[in-house]
Amino acid sequence: MQPDPHSAAGDHRAAGIPASEPTIPTQEGTEDMTPDQISTEGTVSSQGGVAETPDGLLTVGKTLPDGEAMLAVRNLKKVYHTDGGDIEAVRNLTFDLPQGQLACLVGPSGSGKTTLLKCISGLLAPTAGEVTLHGKKVTGPPKSMAVVFQEYGRSLFPWMRVRDNVELPLKNQGVDKAKRDELVDNALEAVGLAHVPKSYPWQLSGGMQQRVAIARAVAYQPEVLLMDEPFAAVDAQTRADLEDLVRSVWKQLGVSVLFVTHDIDESVYLGERVIILSSSPTVIQQDVLIDLPEERDQLETRSSQRFSELRHHVYEQIQLAKKGFRPEDALAK
Amino acid sequence: MKTLKSLLYIVGLPVILLVLWYLATAFGEKNFFVPTPALLAETFVETWTWDRMTTDVFPSLVRLFWGILGSIVIGMVGGLLIGSVRWLRALLEPTMEFFRAIPPTVLIPVLMLLIGIGDDMKVAVIIAGAVWPILLNTIEGVRAMDEVLSDTTHTYGIKGFNRVRYLILPSAMPQIMAGIRQSLSIALILMVISEMFAASSGLGFTIVQFQRSFAIPEMWSGIVLLGIIGVLLSFVFQLVERVVLRWYHGLREIENAA
Repeated sequence: MQPDPHSAAGDHRAAGIPASEPTIPTQEGTEDMTPDQISTEGTVSSQGGVAETPDGLLTVGKTLPDGEAMLAVRNLKKVYHTDGGDIEAVRNLTFDLPQGQLACLVGPSGSGKTTLLKCISGLLAPTAGEVTLHGKKVTGPPKSMAVVFQEYGRSLFPWMRVRDNVELPLKNQGVDKAKRDELVDNALEAVGLAHVPKSYPWQLSGGMQQRVAIARAVAYQPEVLLMDEPFAAVDAQTRADLEDLVRSVWKQLGVSVLFVTHDIDESVYLGERVIILSSSPTVIQQDVLIDLPEERDQLETRSSQRFSELRHHVYEQIQLAKKGFRPEDALAK
Repeated sequence: MKTLKSLLYIVGLPVILLVLWYLATAFGEKNFFVPTPALLAETFVETWTWDRMTTDVFPSLVRLFWGILGSIVIGMVGGLLIGSVRWLRALLEPTMEFFRAIPPTVLIPVLMLLIGIGDDMKVAVIIAGAVWPILLNTIEGVRAMDEVLSDTTHTYGIKGFNRVRYLILPSAMPQIMAGIRQSLSIALILMVISEMFAASSGLGFTIVQFQRSFAIPEMWSGIVLLGIIGVLLSFVFQLVERVVLRWYHGLREIENAA
């Protein structure tokens, strides 16, 4: 039922349709409701849909038929009960993460990104809805999931050397010494830290500390890797290197990666898909397919026409979200 | 040059105090209660012979050792439990405040009745006073656990004993060491006091004996010995701390430099 958005867009442009016209030919979702605010440059395909949820008619992310998704998030809601009253951080989120995909979650600050990630990783219990991994409901941190946190300085054990930090989860699982050494060596090699196993984490720069945290996750051999704004606290040049590192680790291991960020460029550069979150209480605003070439390069990719189109689109959506745009209100109209 | 300088800093004040003391006792009015440094040194060598060491000093030190060890074990195990189990903390904290407020010295007669006048009683008195700083600091250290580190161990499925060993204990260690440091001086004080009651040997007992028989220089020499023990104790502690908290001091240095 979905027309090919690219060819459609090409037609519009060729026909010289003025900017005020609704030119985004996505079949459903939010664009239709706010045509005047949508980019007219390129076209972006939204993979999401609209579904009837316990919270009313809502936009949802792309879902797969039952049993096919690796990680499934269904009608996830999180309400914090505080003395000052209830705070609805996440209203309703539904999307799937297929095996081996690298998806970015991007949203305005305070859009409950960290809350969402904590619910997915089993650190927080959702108020309603559920997260399933291979069809099994997540009630605590699952064994096949690893999380890389933003605060690298607080997620590494300062009393352990780099190597011991990477080795600890394996040791805890009872992996034998030879296998452990191999996994740790490979992981440190993969993140380019083979030369500092005997240092303490705090002796390293911020970027290197985050590399250690990534190495620890890699050595753990997870099926799903969750990353919570991992590069928000490192400088721009280091960040570019780390982005490429994530892409290469992802390709090497074939893991599914869910990468949370507030950096729009980063989300477009990294992901195969960008899930845009609304402002709090969070729902999915749009689920955008990132159809950039497989091989990404900080110079080439970022200066390409397609990159700037996608970036433009995501940026606009985030601006909308910041202004308090609610996808469900638009649907109700 | 640098070591010489730091050595001068260490001995500087003691030398000044000795000189003042010498001037005051040698040229001032003679005082029966304050001996000259030379007399004290002479008395010290005469009094603390090997014989006396084995009959009075070593038994005291053994009791001190057991008292400190008992305090560390009870304080750390109790602190880990109370710090990590919320209902236990809620249950025990008010009562703990009550027992903490009781000076251990008033417990001596009670303990004498309950466990006799032997070494057990003296060790119990030391523990009753020295356990508190370790216990309370351990509780605080466990509670002040970094949330991100705690989440990290959860996501990697590190729980139970491994969580205590790899996360809780090391992360509380700076606080625990601060508690132990306070406990050491309390333990030394209580060792002396416990030996002043119903004892027939020990440093505290000997010093009180000298005092009562007006052996004033001998009494002072005992006090000097106590001071030396205190200095040695703190020296040993610093050596241990430097090894155990190496990572912590390094981390702090870098944080302060930044």
